[in-house]
Amino acid sequence: MKPINDFISRFNSSVSLDERFIVKKDIRYFLLNENLKRLALRNFFYAGTYLGKIKNGKFFPSFSLLRIISERRANKVIVDDKTAWLFICGRDIFKQGIVKTVGSKRKGDYALILNEHGECLGFGRMLSDFDEEKSDVAIKNISDIGDFLRREKQQA
Amino acid sequence: MSGKEFFVSRYEELGWKYEDVEPRQAIRINTMNAEEASTIKRLHSLGIELEKISFLKNGYWICRSKFSLGAISEYLLGLYSIQEAAAQIPASLFTKLKDKKVLDACAAPGGKTVQLAELMQNTGVIIALDIKKHRLIALSNQLERCNVKNVIVYHLDARQVSRLGIKFDRILLDVPCSGNFVTDREWFSRRTLEDVQKNASLQREILAETVKVLKNDGEIVYATCSLEPEEDELNIDWAIKNLQLNVKKINCYGEKALTNIFGKQLDNTIENCRRIWPRETQGFFVCKLKKSANAL
Repeated sequence: MKPINDFISRFNSSVSLDERFIVKKDIRYFLLNENLKRLALRNFFYAGTYLGKIKNGKFFPSFSLLRIISERRANKVIVDDKTAWLFICGRDIFKQGIVKTVGSKRKGDYALILNEHGECLGFGRMLSDFDEEKSDVAIKNISDIGDFLRREKQQA
Repeated sequence: MSGKEFFVSRYEELGWKYEDVEPRQAIRINTMNAEEASTIKRLHSLGIELEKISFLKNGYWICRSKFSLGAISEYLLGLYSIQEAAAQIPASLFTKLKDKKVLDACAAPGGKTVQLAELMQNTGVIIALDIKKHRLIALSNQLERCNVKNVIVYHLDARQVSRLGIKFDRILLDVPCSGNFVTDREWFSRRTLEDVQKNASLQREILAETVKVLKNDGEIVYATCSLEPEEDELNIDWAIKNLQLNVKKINCYGEKALTNIFGKQLDNTIENCRRIWPRETQGFFVCKLKKSANAL
């Protein structure tokens, strides 16, 4: 389960998912529990908690996995309502929209983006050290929950 | 045999005078992900006016909204689902869902699957099937969005469910049906009695197969959003006679179902089913079935 653990570590976090219950189905990873593991046949389409997928050697996390990480100690950036809305529309985050940061503030690190209710909206990469006196884009949007709508549009 | 005149005259014969109905948008609060009161407060603060649906536990009518309810962060975070009011009834009719093995035989796009998971508090197992693969993607997205953890999804025709080798405590049969004119404005020009009969036949096949995987003390909830008796009362009458199923009393919105259809007398217990003529909701039919003692 190296791709998942490597991804989690980019948030300076460690989440111990029980590897006995992680199932890889084609390119996708799922976290099952004992009940589900006992009943799931090999040809299932989806099961338990979807964790993410590997595509072209790169791991793409699910929002369920991001939610799991956000419940633990990890790099987090809490943003105001307006910034939260812009973020789920696919925009990057400017410094003035940030309410609070937890964990690393170093350029290049990953951070979960949370709204003021503490709910995980996605994640991004820090473009500069937060302590620098710059007011331009602070976090590059990598993935946000607006993706659920984009997926629907793709299917339509 | 088709056309508005034909179907409307059938409804009148069944005791309902046709009226045009504007569908009302409804949501169901996912209490699995947040407290109902806090979600309502958040939606109010966004200028969304809600009205509690008197016959549902977590259902609300949307009275006014400046936004598309399917495009705001509260929706994307799984705090609520957009689900037609009558469609929120079937899952609520099961008794004791916690830790059970539940089959959702025609599950996509997943509104009722999520509702079942919520009622089960993510315990037990839901096996969700659908025959159309592209609809499974919509179902999977719903499960991920709403933080559902207890579902296994298969790309499988409900008529082949025995292949899974599982016996179920509860089975939701939200069967494919002809639909109704409230949710499909072109319904009268698109549907014929032949379509209805074809769907009724498919529904019987699904009923017959799923009874095989129902535990002796298990429950089936059968639902359609069709107003056509072939898919509703007549199918249940057939199930009583051919599959040794009993209709159980339910306490929910709707009228007693009909026991006389176009002069044909049906089993009296069919009045325990509920027929919902369009008014506040779309047209709907729902009932709860159990195996009769002589079937065990």
